[in-house]
Amino acid sequence: MIELRDVGVELGGATLLRGVSLAVPAGARLGVIGPAAAGKSVLVKVMAGLIPPTTGRLIIDGTDVTGWSEEKLAPVRARIGMLFQNYALYDFLDVAGNVGFPLAQRGLAADALGPRVLERLRAVGLAGSEFKQPSQLSGGMKKRAGIARATIAAPELVLYDEPTAGLDPVTTSKVYDLLRADHDASGATAVAVSSDVAGLVTFVTDVVFVYRGQLAYQGPAATLADAPDPLVRQFVSGALDGPLEA
Amino acid sequence: MIGERTLTLLGARAIAVTREVGGIALMTGQVLRALLPPRLDGRELVRNLHRMGNRSLPIVALTAFFAGGLMVVQSAPFVKRLGATSLAGWAAGYAVLREIGPILIGLMFSGRVGANNTAELGTMTVTEQLDGLRALAIDPIRYLIVPRVLAMLIMLTALTIIGDLVALVGAAVVAYLVLDIDWRTMYFSFADNLTPHDFFHGVYKSVAFGAAIALTSCYFGVTVKGGAVGVGRAVNAAVVAAAVSIMLLDFFITYATA
Amino acid sequence: MSAAPSLPVRALAALGRPVVAAARATLELWGVLIGTLAGIIRSYGKGGRRPRGAVLAQMYAIGNRSLVFVAVTLGFIGMVMMYQACLQFSRAIGDLSQVGLQFLRLVVSDFGPTLTAMMLATRVGAGIAAEIGSMKVTEQLDALRMSGVLPIDYLLVPRFLASIVMTVALTILGAAIMYGAGGLTAWLSFGVNPRTFFDPAMVQPRHLALGLIKAVTYGAAIPIVSGFCGLRARGSSEGVGWATTAAVVGSSFAVIALDFALSVGALWLFGGDL
Repeated sequence: MIELRDVGVELGGATLLRGVSLAVPAGARLGVIGPAAAGKSVLVKVMAGLIPPTTGRLIIDGTDVTGWSEEKLAPVRARIGMLFQNYALYDFLDVAGNVGFPLAQRGLAADALGPRVLERLRAVGLAGSEFKQPSQLSGGMKKRAGIARATIAAPELVLYDEPTAGLDPVTTSKVYDLLRADHDASGATAVAVSSDVAGLVTFVTDVVFVYRGQLAYQGPAATLADAPDPLVRQFVSGALDGPLEA
Repeated sequence: MIGERTLTLLGARAIAVTREVGGIALMTGQVLRALLPPRLDGRELVRNLHRMGNRSLPIVALTAFFAGGLMVVQSAPFVKRLGATSLAGWAAGYAVLREIGPILIGLMFSGRVGANNTAELGTMTVTEQLDGLRALAIDPIRYLIVPRVLAMLIMLTALTIIGDLVALVGAAVVAYLVLDIDWRTMYFSFADNLTPHDFFHGVYKSVAFGAAIALTSCYFGVTVKGGAVGVGRAVNAAVVAAAVSIMLLDFFITYATA
Repeated sequence: MSAAPSLPVRALAALGRPVVAAARATLELWGVLIGTLAGIIRSYGKGGRRPRGAVLAQMYAIGNRSLVFVAVTLGFIGMVMMYQACLQFSRAIGDLSQVGLQFLRLVVSDFGPTLTAMMLATRVGAGIAAEIGSMKVTEQLDALRMSGVLPIDYLLVPRFLASIVMTVALTILGAAIMYGAGGLTAWLSFGVNPRTFFDPAMVQPRHLALGLIKAVTYGAAIPIVSGFCGLRARGSSEGVGWATTAAVVGSSFAVIALDFALSVGALWLFGGDL
């Protein structure tokens, strides 16, 4: 589905990613973990084409899209949904306007759009909030509205940047239940970034560990706690002693 | 007939403006009270003076240079028609010293230093740093606001005096380049016609403008609500309030000192 | 031999860094201008998708925000300028019959558009930078791009068009108020006959043309400079505050510099007849 070949990213003199090679097959569910500021968000933004790689190639469905212009990328992005770390809900639109935006931009008529927005809002448990402003929603509701917007156009790949950051444990479980149900039904590929390893492994099948802009480990989610890499073992267990630099 | 909604809207606007004017007046009172007795954090004052002067000198000098040149260009048709090149320096100098200099420098200072001050205080407010000071029993007015108000007042006055000089140089340069009037003619046109009164008229104004910019920018900074969006909105409100204050004060000072 | 660079090299580097940064910023600024012009063609050319009613909504926002502000500030400055001009004229020539003519020329061809634009640079420029800047730091611009929408087309193009129209409209209003307030001052404080002051026959077409050209140029420059500042915003609330500040100073200075360039150009074209 999506492949990164030896990708490096430099921005304003800082190296954010270095030599990242990664292939995500169609239908896979990949988790991205790692300490703060390791380059996890940059990694998913490169996948979405939002940050152009300084070196290396980005290949989506066998097509090399590295260096494509915004206009040329538009049809590629139409097949990708994204949930942003800061929700990124448009503050000039209400909840229904936000969720329906990707479809409205593709010229879907208002009478066809309404039912789809309602169906999506019901799926994420936000029925009844369609005319609220984003600022009136709680953190968990904003995340769910963002998920509804990311998935309304039935994308083949959904990127989740911190789907549960700042949420309480119960809401976190609900969000992962929602993601599981969504992807079981659609079969879409998923890439999820999270610092919450315990929650993430209930959703993803494979995990990559990003450390200082590099992929330090790649392996199945189920055996993460017994990973051969001491970095990963320390990160997952939360131990203070180990090779991780604070 | 004026709709009820329009009236409600107008009323709400009037109340909001009144509240802000009241809030600024209240802050003025607090600042004055903190100055009596004048226990000053001298280091903080000097730090602010240095920072604000450094930050705004280039843009003020550039603005003043252009303002002086502009006034020569604007008086050029009149001067050319009358053939009175000896009047060019006077016309430009008079306008620059009394009005254009203090106003443009004040507006630029408000944009550079005032707006920046609002953004800084606003960020401190939304990240609860002001509450942190209060928890340590440190009065934010005395510690944060007073040095900034004094620094802006002193710095704008100093910058206006420097700016006046730069503007006269700008006028002479542009007169030479555009109107072919030589340096000596310009110099004597300034020296024979401009009085110290013209110069001080502008300097009084800059003192008042400095106080107005300082108080409005601090007020809108410490009353920020609502995160990043709120900070942007507060900066916007502060520069607008400063511009209105500058125009109103300009009017009253012109009439009061006539 | 030593690894540390010598003093001249370090001095050059210290001088070069801001120059490189300034050159890069200038390039980016041109990029925003060209992107906006291309965005107009994309949106209003054949098969373009323009957001319905966006330009009208922005025109309303600009007018609603700035009408009273421009009217009050230009009214007061009109009174002050007239007052100072009368003082100067009575000292220099002792005859106030020329004052109305000169004031009209200055208001129409310079002070009207330039001071209105200075006020709008403060009001509208800061507003645009704050809006776009906070959308940038909250990733709303990235979200637009993910939906195949170019942020410049969606946000800056309507503001650009609305700003040009509204700057011209508010300039006409501001110049009229400034001139009226000036005439009132000349009459009440110096006894200048309003009939000799308010004579519409004195307005020359070239003064009107120059004033109009200035208003359109300022109206275009303010959203470009402010949009550029907003798009550069980074971080959180500090970034938005910084962008807003930079927009006020940048667009105000753009107005002054453009005024200078256009005024010198007009003087060169018309000479003493201006």
